[in-house]
Amino acid sequence: MRTIGFSTGALAKGDFALGLDAQRERPGIDAVELSALRDHELPSLIDAIDSLNLEDFDYISFHAPSRLMAMGEEEAFGLLLRVPEVWPIIVHPELLQTPSLWRRLGERLCIENMDDRKMTGRTVPELQILFDTFPEATFCLDLGHARQIDPTMASAILMLREFGPRLRQLHVSDVGPRGEHLPLGATARNSFARVARFVPDHCPLIIESIIGIDGIERELDAVIAVFEAPLAQATA
Amino acid sequence: MSSTIDVLESRLGANWSGIRAARARTATLLAQLDAAVGDLHDANYSIIVTGSLGRGEATEGSDADWLLLVDGRSDPEHAILARTIRSRIVDVVGKNVGRTGTFGDIVASHELVHYIAGTRDSNENLTRRILLLSESRALTNPLLRERVIRNVLARYVIHDRSVQSRSGHRQTVAHFLLNDIVRYWRTMTSDFASKMWERDREGWGIRNIKLRFSRKVLFLWGLLACFSGELFARSDLYDVENEDEHFSRLAELIRAQTDVPPLELLARAVAQSDDDSVAEAIFSSYDHFLNVLSDPEARMKLEEVHFDDALDDPTYAGLRDASHTFREGVTRLFFDTHPKLPKLIRDFGVF
Repeated sequence: MRTIGFSTGALAKGDFALGLDAQRERPGIDAVELSALRDHELPSLIDAIDSLNLEDFDYISFHAPSRLMAMGEEEAFGLLLRVPEVWPIIVHPELLQTPSLWRRLGERLCIENMDDRKMTGRTVPELQILFDTFPEATFCLDLGHARQIDPTMASAILMLREFGPRLRQLHVSDVGPRGEHLPLGATARNSFARVARFVPDHCPLIIESIIGIDGIERELDAVIAVFEAPLAQATA
Repeated sequence: MSSTIDVLESRLGANWSGIRAARARTATLLAQLDAAVGDLHDANYSIIVTGSLGRGEATEGSDADWLLLVDGRSDPEHAILARTIRSRIVDVVGKNVGRTGTFGDIVASHELVHYIAGTRDSNENLTRRILLLSESRALTNPLLRERVIRNVLARYVIHDRSVQSRSGHRQTVAHFLLNDIVRYWRTMTSDFASKMWERDREGWGIRNIKLRFSRKVLFLWGLLACFSGELFARSDLYDVENEDEHFSRLAELIRAQTDVPPLELLARAVAQSDDDSVAEAIFSSYDHFLNVLSDPEARMKLEEVHFDDALDDPTYAGLRDASHTFREGVTRLFFDTHPKLPKLIRDFGVF
């Protein structure tokens, strides 16, 4: 079984407590990504970390704000330094305005590939530039973003080949025309299945599909079906 | 980084000023066009140019064949936008696209990807699809162009495979794509005859000469792209266990050629043949072609020459002779001098 769980933001937007409660004690869920996608959500989530009950989760990551509206880069970075050192911090490249600052995170800095609304971090060459700038950084492969850039998934497979040693986790969801994270559709499931065999078994899967709490089981089953099928074939 | 054409020119001590001037003019025009439409960026479409601008062969009289390639939801705004693009491009190049309707319009990716061959494909769709692969350049949103090309190549390469050979040798030539490339070349030549019939040979001379050079070089690009699994693959490219990954890599290798101008791809194959006389025949004649096209007076003569007087016209006759040299060079490359092409063209080019 793969390590798998949801982003709290996908389940409950800024209500991280609800996003955690919804997953706790669910069979099959042993990972979570604490999400502060909007910068105003960051201080309260950071303040709450010590009091969160996270014992059900073997893997925990922290998603930094996707962009800064209400606070500066240094202030955000200062808050992120309070994230426990064993948790990777998932960042969008456009957050990394001052490289010398973010390099201090070393391998905790986990750079995510982007969708086509962004101007960097979308392709292997663009990611390579980022990893040249942040040589210790790890990698979060967002399958939905990669599929939006290249539906054949050749680029996603190439990303896994090129940046495999850096791979820390996957983001899994469908992505709509405006970049919104959606439940896995049939074509996305087929596309992701082509990539699944190249994803190491130990790599955690973080589901980012925006669903209600009621949709957890269905989405979890869909993702497991995509990623367990190749394993079943391989062991048959 | 210098191109292979530059390397060959230097090695032969040649002076291919027409090719260099066309590349420089292309760069200038593309910069002007980038500036003219750069503010129209959108995630759902890409403004594409094909033709001489896509090939890097723009000359004084070149127009700009453009497409508004939509890969996403439909929007009535696209029609309004197309009018804006048309106006801005005409401001830069000074003239509108040709009258066939193949260019200067909205093109949805759906037809390019789904209507490949079969009854729903059309001459227009075939033309747009092959030109997108062989001679296109994005003015905005290059990733969208790449995405559509990848989807088209997925149809040609990933989803069309031969039965595995008994020897275990995996397919490296994209048969479906090759057949469509050949079909497109033959379509161009047939359509030339059709247009001449419909238009009573109006503009006959320049079309005939383009068929002998710039249209033919598209066919050559297509052949070389289809054979790129044999010609341009890194030694470890096929070092994979999985069939899916093999074909995915082959498609990506062919996609990489869609960023290489046809004449440059031809130069890369010529460089592999290591025969200077072939390089001389091909590129000096092509250089002559571009030099003539860049001379407004000579171009005008070509546009006006009558079929019955053609061989008495020194401009046309000189280019016709040069086209024979070009054809001879290409024939020798494909049938004699290249280390791999003669076998490939014999095995896959005809039967």
